[in-house]
Amino acid sequence: MSYAYLFKYIIIGDTGVGKSCLLLQFTDKRFQPVHDLTIGVEFGARMITIDGKQIKLQIWDTAGQEAFRSITRSYYRGAAGALLVYDITRRDTFNHLTTWLEDARQHSNSNMVIMLIGNKSDLESRREVKKEEGEAFAREHGLVFMETSAKTAANVEEAFINTAREIYEKIQEGVFDINNEANGIKLGPQHLPSNANTPSGGASASQGGSCC
Amino acid sequence: MSVELFTSSLSHLFHYRPFLVTRIVSAMLNKFKNAFFSVVNNLDATSPDKNNDIGPNGEPKLPLKFPYSRPHFLQLNGEDEIQVAGDHAIRPIIVPRDITKIPWNSGYAEAVNAGKSLRNEDQARIHVGYLERRHSDNGHSAETTEFHTPPSTPEKDSKTQRPRQRIPYVYFALFDGHAGTGAAISAANELHCILHDKLMDVIHHLLPPTDTGECAQNGRNQVLWFPEREISVESFIVGALEATFHEMDNLIAEDRFVYRVTGGCTVVVSLFICGKLFVSNAGDSRAVLCRGRKAFPLSNDFTPETERQRIRKLAALQPELLGGEYTALDFSRRPNRRDIGQRLLYREPHMTGWAYKTVTPEDLKFPVVYGEGKRSRVLATIGVTRGFGDHDLRAPNSNILIKPFLSSQPEVRIVDIEKEAIYETDVLVMGTDGLWDVTSNERVAETVQRSLEQFPIEDSARYRYRFTSAAQDLVMCSRGKLNERSWRTADSKSATIDDISVFVIPLAAYKEEYLRWKLEMESQTVRPETKEADIPVSEPAASLPTVSVASQPARMTEQPANVNGTPAENETALSDPSVDAVNVEKDEGIVVMEEEAVGPPPSEGAVDPLQLPADPEKNESNS
Repeated sequence: MSYAYLFKYIIIGDTGVGKSCLLLQFTDKRFQPVHDLTIGVEFGARMITIDGKQIKLQIWDTAGQEAFRSITRSYYRGAAGALLVYDITRRDTFNHLTTWLEDARQHSNSNMVIMLIGNKSDLESRREVKKEEGEAFAREHGLVFMETSAKTAANVEEAFINTAREIYEKIQEGVFDINNEANGIKLGPQHLPSNANTPSGGASASQGGSCC
Repeated sequence: MSVELFTSSLSHLFHYRPFLVTRIVSAMLNKFKNAFFSVVNNLDATSPDKNNDIGPNGEPKLPLKFPYSRPHFLQLNGEDEIQVAGDHAIRPIIVPRDITKIPWNSGYAEAVNAGKSLRNEDQARIHVGYLERRHSDNGHSAETTEFHTPPSTPEKDSKTQRPRQRIPYVYFALFDGHAGTGAAISAANELHCILHDKLMDVIHHLLPPTDTGECAQNGRNQVLWFPEREISVESFIVGALEATFHEMDNLIAEDRFVYRVTGGCTVVVSLFICGKLFVSNAGDSRAVLCRGRKAFPLSNDFTPETERQRIRKLAALQPELLGGEYTALDFSRRPNRRDIGQRLLYREPHMTGWAYKTVTPEDLKFPVVYGEGKRSRVLATIGVTRGFGDHDLRAPNSNILIKPFLSSQPEVRIVDIEKEAIYETDVLVMGTDGLWDVTSNERVAETVQRSLEQFPIEDSARYRYRFTSAAQDLVMCSRGKLNERSWRTADSKSATIDDISVFVIPLAAYKEEYLRWKLEMESQTVRPETKEADIPVSEPAASLPTVSVASQPARMTEQPANVNGTPAENETALSDPSVDAVNVEKDEGIVVMEEEAVGPPPSEGAVDPLQLPADPEKNESNS
């Protein structure tokens, strides 16, 4: 499939908060109650449309375990967006957000868009972190906030797409240097004069990508 | 004769699986085609089929035999994920998606190079198979499965209702490609198939005799007055491995006339069969047994440096291979024009020490092996001296072929897992040179132990990931982190920019599986006529023999000196002519038997050629 842009995302947060399940819900539209431990990194991809432009999201889902932290850090670089996830039923996962945020800010490019996500919103009865607390943390650190449920799919699409929209707007504003791949943004075949030799140039470009 | 008819008759004759027959036929046709085209090409140099030279001029037009991919057990989906995994800037450490598909929850991890080559040129393969003799035929049927660990309970033969005799085996292989991905891809796709056939060829020597008199043919149908050597089971397996390596290299040589098979590759294979581990190595990848924080090397590196003597001897014997541009002499320093007439320290191919020689203009030629350590090269070109492929590789700015100096012969080492005391934390680490260039054997053993300690057995959800995590940590050790523009290790040294691939394989799991299988096999052979109900189909674990797996290694020895990186220069010194397998080390540590059929076959000094043939029963006991 041809696309105008490729955005690289990274999903971070404590172990067991539902990072892999969010990815699976977004890419495959299914929920897996018992998910294997993620060791290192997993990949997912999906095409979305923003402003009539096809955008490919390439998502790196990382291991949340403390033991893998130093390996996870090396994946922050070159990401345009990050989903920082905590579990609304586990206070400790919320308390660790500061550490995650510091890590992310230190190891990624400064323009990276970070979306804070309180996952497992379907488990209202076991809630330990109020929605307002999440909102306050996001406001304080300049993040976008949303509560999601990987199980019911509530807000999952929105979380990924809103992050993309924010990145897209930053591109329009000229904040991102789109020619530098270290920013996690790649121009797709739709932008190139000829898409004959591009790896994913199967379909011909139906839309002209002349935004810049 | 039509190909089909030919195929079926071949199949009948050799009991080969159909796909292999197709391969043999196509290889034969290729040979014919090659012969044909070489004639045609002599007549017409511009023939479109003369595109087998993958030279720098113009793109090769031949099709690929196998598309580029990453190891099957990683289960990457499509080109997209292959590309992400091969991101040279991030170098993600890739581990298998579903470790339940990997025998014994073994670990694997890989990382791409830092831009040294477009693709990750390492390849890996895991194969779980059975060698099976059915009672209904003569033992040349075969079954293999991908991934799955064989069921421990033998299935019944559908015709005779007796348990099938099958030998399970597990194969792990690493291939480190260079100058292209073709050879490594071919080997990853085909080496285990060839090995399976070679093992099937000797299955009657590996299985215990059956009650129907189907026994080792070795000796039975032989002419009475020629004595037959006694050959151990290990020797049949070593032979199968050696023959397999040779055939694989030949297959690549033939394939390159009809397919685009670029480059060459090193090979290290670990084969678990009959209670033993066979490590076959050809190249500079390495297999190391890690016990506690001690490392016991199970392979030697084959590089221009370690094989200097072999290569120089060959150069001296066949100077035409040097094209008049290289010399087999080795000077203490490279002589220059001003040294002519002066005396300089040197050594001939038949010397390991040094002597004086008066330098002549002839001596100014480039040495056939030049450089030290990792920078040593054969004919100023290649830094590894064993493996597959490189059939068209030439020395720079010349027509001199490198291949005659390379060998596909593996050095095979055996660890008797059944007899050896094996501990829960004993692991076999296999890695390509990307790992070992930065991280020493001892450091690897230490890292593995540290990783394993993070996964206590009580933590049942995470426990089975411990070897995967160890493999990932090892790759991390050698890959390091990107610091500004260069990759640095945790202690700020240069990390490797090469591809890295690592297996971490627990030995205790194999031992347990093997002992269970053995028990079942014994119950079959001792009471072959037992009715189905009497055969212990699934015995409770309590009745299994106690596997001596201690969580704390009790006895530990230093690395045995004679197994530790002994270069292959003294091959002959290692082989005792009267035995097939020589115990190199018989200490409290690991007993490593070494097999290397270099030079003339061992003469059986113990057997009097005039004696009557060995008792056939005796031969059976071998099988």
